[in-house]
Amino acid sequence: MVSALSFIALPLGTAFTLGLLPQGMQRVNYLLTLLALALLSLIAASWLLAFAAGEIATQQIFTAGTTPPFSINLQIGMAEAAGLLLLNLTGLLSVIYLRDTLHQQGARAMAVLLIFIMALSGIVLTRDLFNLFVFIELTTIATGGLILLSHDKRALGAGFKYLVATQIISITLLIGTIFLYHDSGTLNIDGMAAGGLITGESLALFLVLIALILELKPFPANGWALDIYESAHPAFSAILSAAAATAALFAVDRLLLVGSNSWLPLATAVGVVSFVGANLLALVQRNDRRILGYSSIAQMGLLLVVVGQRDILGESYLFIAGGILLAHAIAKAGLFWLSGIIVARDLSDWRALQRNPLYIFAFATFIAMLVGLPPFPGFYAKWDLVHLLAAHDRIALLLALLFASLLEALFLFRWFGYVIKGEANPEGIICARNKLGVIAAATVAAWGVAYLWGEMALQGNLLYSIPLLAALAFLLLEWLAVPYKNVLAISVLLGWFVVNYADYNPLQLIFAVIILVGGPLILLSSFYARGRRIGFYPATMLMFAGMAQLIVAKSSFDFFAAWEILTIGSYYLILRGKASEPHAISYIIFSLGGAFLMLTGFALAAAGDLNFLLSNLSEVAPAVAPWVFLLLAIGFMTKTAAIGVHIWLPGAHAEAESDVSPMLSGILLKAGLFGLMVLMLEMGRQSLYGVDLTHVMLWIGALSALLGNLMAAFQEDAKRLLAYSSIAQLGYALFGLALMNHLGWLLALMFVINHFIYKSMLFLSVGGVAKRTGTRLMYRMGGLITLMPLSFIAVLIGIIAVSGVPPLSGFGGRWIFYNAIMTAEYRLPLIIIFLAGPIAFLYLFRLIHTIFLGQLKDEHRQLREAPFWMILPQMIFVACLMVFALVPGLALKRVDHYLLQYFPEGGLSWDGLTITSHFGYWSPISIMVIVGVIFMTLFAWLLFVNRRAQKVKQFNIVFAAERPFRPETTHFAWNFFAPYRKALGFLTEPLVTRFWDAIGEALHSLAELLRRFYNGNGQTYSVHLLAFVVITFLLARGVS
Amino acid sequence: MAYIALATGFLLILIGLYGALTHSHILRMIVAFTVANTGVNLVLVGVGYMGGRTAPILDKAVEVSAAAQRIIDPLPQALVLTAIVIGLGVTALMLTYAYRLYVTRGTLDISRYTELKW
Amino acid sequence: MQFDWMQIPYSLLTLFIVLNYGMLLNALIAKIAARVGRRHGIPIWQNYADLLKNYGIRSSITHGVMFYLGPVFRLAGGVGLLLFVPTIFGSEMFSNLSFAGDLILALYFVFFGTLGMALGAGESGHPHAAIGVSRGLSQVTTAELPFALAVFAVALQYQTLSVTDIVAAQQGGFLNWTLFTNPFAVAAAMLGFLGSMMRPPFDVVLAPQEIPIGPPTEYHSSYLALMQTNRMIFPIAKIVVYMNLFFGGAASWPVFFIKVFFIYMVSVLVGVVFPRFHVEQSVRWFLVWAVPFGIIAVLMV
Repeated sequence: MVSALSFIALPLGTAFTLGLLPQGMQRVNYLLTLLALALLSLIAASWLLAFAAGEIATQQIFTAGTTPPFSINLQIGMAEAAGLLLLNLTGLLSVIYLRDTLHQQGARAMAVLLIFIMALSGIVLTRDLFNLFVFIELTTIATGGLILLSHDKRALGAGFKYLVATQIISITLLIGTIFLYHDSGTLNIDGMAAGGLITGESLALFLVLIALILELKPFPANGWALDIYESAHPAFSAILSAAAATAALFAVDRLLLVGSNSWLPLATAVGVVSFVGANLLALVQRNDRRILGYSSIAQMGLLLVVVGQRDILGESYLFIAGGILLAHAIAKAGLFWLSGIIVARDLSDWRALQRNPLYIFAFATFIAMLVGLPPFPGFYAKWDLVHLLAAHDRIALLLALLFASLLEALFLFRWFGYVIKGEANPEGIICARNKLGVIAAATVAAWGVAYLWGEMALQGNLLYSIPLLAALAFLLLEWLAVPYKNVLAISVLLGWFVVNYADYNPLQLIFAVIILVGGPLILLSSFYARGRRIGFYPATMLMFAGMAQLIVAKSSFDFFAAWEILTIGSYYLILRGKASEPHAISYIIFSLGGAFLMLTGFALAAAGDLNFLLSNLSEVAPAVAPWVFLLLAIGFMTKTAAIGVHIWLPGAHAEAESDVSPMLSGILLKAGLFGLMVLMLEMGRQSLYGVDLTHVMLWIGALSALLGNLMAAFQEDAKRLLAYSSIAQLGYALFGLALMNHLGWLLALMFVINHFIYKSMLFLSVGGVAKRTGTRLMYRMGGLITLMPLSFIAVLIGIIAVSGVPPLSGFGGRWIFYNAIMTAEYRLPLIIIFLAGPIAFLYLFRLIHTIFLGQLKDEHRQLREAPFWMILPQMIFVACLMVFALVPGLALKRVDHYLLQYFPEGGLSWDGLTITSHFGYWSPISIMVIVGVIFMTLFAWLLFVNRRAQKVKQFNIVFAAERPFRPETTHFAWNFFAPYRKALGFLTEPLVTRFWDAIGEALHSLAELLRRFYNGNGQTYSVHLLAFVVITFLLARGVS
Repeated sequence: MAYIALATGFLLILIGLYGALTHSHILRMIVAFTVANTGVNLVLVGVGYMGGRTAPILDKAVEVSAAAQRIIDPLPQALVLTAIVIGLGVTALMLTYAYRLYVTRGTLDISRYTELKW
Repeated sequence: MQFDWMQIPYSLLTLFIVLNYGMLLNALIAKIAARVGRRHGIPIWQNYADLLKNYGIRSSITHGVMFYLGPVFRLAGGVGLLLFVPTIFGSEMFSNLSFAGDLILALYFVFFGTLGMALGAGESGHPHAAIGVSRGLSQVTTAELPFALAVFAVALQYQTLSVTDIVAAQQGGFLNWTLFTNPFAVAAAMLGFLGSMMRPPFDVVLAPQEIPIGPPTEYHSSYLALMQTNRMIFPIAKIVVYMNLFFGGAASWPVFFIKVFFIYMVSVLVGVVFPRFHVEQSVRWFLVWAVPFGIIAVLMV
């Protein structure tokens, strides 16, 4: 192995050489710098590989030929090697990125940069306190120099503020150091820790520690750091964020060894305040680099928490800290580098990235990595962290972390939304090959560490999952035209179904059919799209991959990962709609919020088991079981859009593209139901403080059904109407599950199937109509029945089925419902459900009447039927609906038997044509035949007596003694249920929306208020620093 | 003696910090920090001082065998020397900044450099 | 119960009896209402005359397929409802086609005709049709609620959803009728009944038809005849359900005629006394006055 001292000697030597070379040899200087950093990276990599292979153990390097305390010693282990690799690679890539700037600035800038990297490496390596001080001061001076690389004039002021702040830090550090030396007689950190002379009470130790923590720029004593992030050259900010912060973290981690871990709570406290505070303040930022600065500070806070919790993390400590650190470093450096190719500084200026899908891919990768989504390292790390925190009852900390993560996701995804949507400025981006190369390298590194962490993870590598790989493979196929990709997507889904068909149990099979056969059916409609439709297929397949994995997940980890994957996929899909940006963000926030609750629930249930099997949910300790149930149930209900957490759904479903809405409504919503089924099968009834939680769910289901139906009745937008109707339908299904009896579950499954068929069909029809008419507002349509007869038939069949009128399949649902409630224990919520039922007629009639009946508008006279590819799946759905109406046993019989093992009472009997329950009977085929015969007989009779009926013109009607002549004034459509609104409209007051809006508003106002704290004055920042030290000390003392 | 040095050192630090926080003129701030740095150095020396011992120079006056009992700990002094050098570097950098700030903006009032905030 | 070809003629016989009874009963009711208003009223055979005339009229127009099918849906709904429920208790002959489904089938099949009719009228493009449907649907949401609760209470009481079994449980003296064993359910159901009989104070739904040029004008000749046929059958079919659930059913045709008449008269008596409600008023009225009875019934069973 090359000596670790080369990390100090090599850059130092190169820096001096650069100084000695004659002026004007910029190219040579630059190559020399590159070479040095590349060499250092190689050396670091070789160390890391050696450690990883287990060839060598942690090594001490002694200088001056003696041992400490008489000499300075360095130590290199696995973590240090990884840190060094990170530092030097960041340095190398930044130098490549900075090529032009460095050529301009000359050898001195390169030398300073090398010294900077050297000093950071020193911080990572050294075990000597004073040596640490020296390296820190070196980084300070180098930073002071490198800030001037920026073209931004404001950087000068920021640099001075930085120097003022570091003065205070270094005074604190020096005083602490000398007293520590005085007390322990050594400057060696390991010596101090081992000597036991330094106790946790030591003020000197506190001073050193707080100085090092201040190097991490904790919230709120960090105004100076934010100014640097905002004004410095992005390449330098990248180093500062990725490398310098990493080095400081190593220093803090090391120093906490002294005083036998007694300051760990301090690190945790400062960390959690930083993580929450910085993420909160980032909410109201518009400047890209400042927001990245806030995010850096937040991530450092999170890492400080990890360091502070290392006493409970045990063997996972390095895995967790490393995962979060690498995710932060790579993503943040990548984002800073990206910001360097964007011309203007507002978040929306990043729209320039739209110019090339690869930029968007890089951006999405970094954002997903920062948020900690699978398959990136942060995901594995957060999973382990949360589980260990929960296992040690640190729930408050856990919740604070998750809350802040949600804030982080909010501003990051909102940013992503801005970038994807809206008009891009084609001039807004500078494409230099070296810069793009660096960004590409960061993107590759991101996926590389994702693979690496997956390999190291206890739970197995997510990147080995075939569905996920298939979805990612579509990224490589983006150059194909839509028809090819569509055929491929359909065959992939069907193929996966065929391969796995035998392994599904009846319950899974129902969902598998909906996902893997229903999905392709809806995808048929995607054939109408032209061009390449970039981004659609990876997102769709990601969603399907998540769903396919979800239903077969055995462990909570697999389940959660699948859940996150399907969330990401569907988020990208929703975001594709024209005006869907605000809805997509609300979708992802509710989904992630729900996911975090699920995560907490799983963690509580697992009690420290990092690879917890779902089947063990039934054996959770009784003390936590109801809480686990509650958290998981709320998590799942965010996906089924139960009332209270439903506000994301209407917009998301309404604004999505025509072929996306059916997938979201028909398929995606079922993920939540599947989760609930798994949960309730495993955990059964739970009660919390004497309240039966299934009873609460009954109420939620009933209220969702009622309010969803009511709101649907008052919509003018056809797709919003259908979206609200989905809320209601899922409310019924939830209600069925919460009944906790055999037929209730069958009811839920019946709704799963029915809702998939008719809602997909209706969304497709309405989508086709909207495509032709160019509007989704129903009162602007009318009389389309003759122009779009097939769409009309689909909607007609659809609404008959939804309404539950015999002879179609909706009736089966109603029949099972009545049989199921016969044995219900709670009757009050039933009344709500009863009230909800007939309201469905209101919106269903309105849907079909205002679009297809009534008066045809002049501007629609030339319309054609919806595109063939949109009609085809609708007609297949019509056929499915008919078949399912005639022989529901086809799908339900097996499930009915399967459910017997969980609910032995109350199964159905499927003898012959009649389905019999304990209370009643139902014969779908007889009903269909009887109704058909009666109907056809009467129809024949009418044809006979009325065979000469003449078709008359549109305005051949008379009312109020006038003949109307304008369709607009004759089409009774707008505010169709005005009297009903007068009577019951008060129930649809958007209280829930107002509630969530108020929370959002409060958070933003708070952030807006708090950020006034950073008034830009260097002196104020100094006061912050001093106050931070004093207050932290007083609080720490007060607590201990 | 040592206590006087220590007390003076801390007093200087406080004076320096007070000065840096109350004066908005950049040059005055730099001077104040220099004062504070001097105070820190004084504290360093004061802490390292051991009463009744001699300078850590091994010559005829101090024999090598008895050195450990007779000389004071040389390390703090080495530290002070390093700290002074580093302090000088930082002060020089700050002065450079002050110069550049004055050239670009024509003022040395730190409260005027608040265009980066919030 | 299984299907037997013989059930077809038997069912047609039921249909025939009920149709004739409906013709006469409706005329009688109209006459009674007229007498209350000090008018003379129509002759008792008036419905026969109207029906024959309308089937005979030859001039006819159509606005489209749905328009054409609307009355068919309507009448199919009425006939179906009648035939899905056993008419005479204990009679194999007049148990009709009830083997196809239980009480729930009858409850939901009520909407079949309504929906089809609403769609048919909608295609005429006449705004009054849409206004009428809007009012009707609004009102039915809460008018059906007390009835649905009562049905649920009764089903819980007898632990069955089969109409025959419910009637069977009420045999052996009128004190065994649901009317006396579960008065709250019956109260709720009968208040709901008022709302579904298209009589004052809940007949604003029909108001667009009263204005002489509403959908009935659009639906003329044989369309109107089909709708009239339905109007003869449908109320009876509905009352049969009430009779079976709450009033002990009928074991023979004479009992049937009497019970149906008296149940019908409830809505007539109320109707001739009260003026008309706005839709929003009736929606609130059902929620405030009828639903609580239903809730009590469901909770007390």
